[in-house]
Amino acid sequence: MDTQHAVADTAPVEANADGVESRRDGSNKITLGPGDSLEGKLTYNGHMTVQGQAQGEFRITGNFEVGSGATVKALVEGSNVTIKGDVEGMLTARDKLTLGKSAKLNGDVTVKRLQIEDGATFNGHIHMGSFEQSSGS
Amino acid sequence: MTENETSVVMLGPRDRLIGELYIEGNLRVSGTLEGQIEATGDVDVTEAATVKATVAGREVNVSGQVNGAVTASKKLVIGRSGSIVGDVRVPRLIMQDGASLSGNVSMGPKVAAEFAQAAAAEAAAAPVEVAAAAQSATDGETAQEKSKPKKR
Repeated sequence: MDTQHAVADTAPVEANADGVESRRDGSNKITLGPGDSLEGKLTYNGHMTVQGQAQGEFRITGNFEVGSGATVKALVEGSNVTIKGDVEGMLTARDKLTLGKSAKLNGDVTVKRLQIEDGATFNGHIHMGSFEQSSGS
Repeated sequence: MTENETSVVMLGPRDRLIGELYIEGNLRVSGTLEGQIEATGDVDVTEAATVKATVAGREVNVSGQVNGAVTASKKLVIGRSGSIVGDVRVPRLIMQDGASLSGNVSMGPKVAAEFAQAAAAEAAAAPVEVAAAAQSATDGETAQEKSKPKKR
């Protein structure tokens, strides 16, 4: 339901794109509230925050954030990825991945920088440094 | 004696150890280390250190370079300047921004339970040895012979 909201939110930005150049490079934002869910494939020029449930494949040019209480089962690609909830799947952070206190991450990770706070749980493989997957971006 | 006779081993920046090291106590490395190290206490790998070894300890702090598998029964902290290339097995992991880690990571309650089990098994085994030692003290020579096979 709220995904429609999100699309509606971003649509006007694209509509009067002439006047809002600054908003085009990354200040677009999708937020899925605690009761919202998304299933599918998303390529998005902007930031994304998930507080509900999301499943699929998300390629985000901006930052990707998973709030505490959120559940994500997906292939995720973003600049800065911050996790405070449950995440399962392959994850790529072009810049930095942050695992907060309440984070639970299962899956393989490709990152440039990584920060893990005490209390976070992580199971998987870490690949740090070079990027083979996102060379096209 | 009250602290269970823990020892502290320090390797300075120009020190080098190649081989296998087991300590009942803490270890602090600033030099070069190759092989295998296990400490019942905490292991500190400082900024100047180069470690090419499997590292096991209770609380492991890494600010230098480690090439090898790392296990910590309590927690692992990788500092800003720390770098680990190898598999990591810990109940808790703290990684500061700037730190580097490449390898497989296993952590969480499951791993913590495994370490607790191992500790419990060790604790259960220890009193037997103590009892055997006490017996040998009272029984004399014959008990000494008995305690030998128990240790195996």
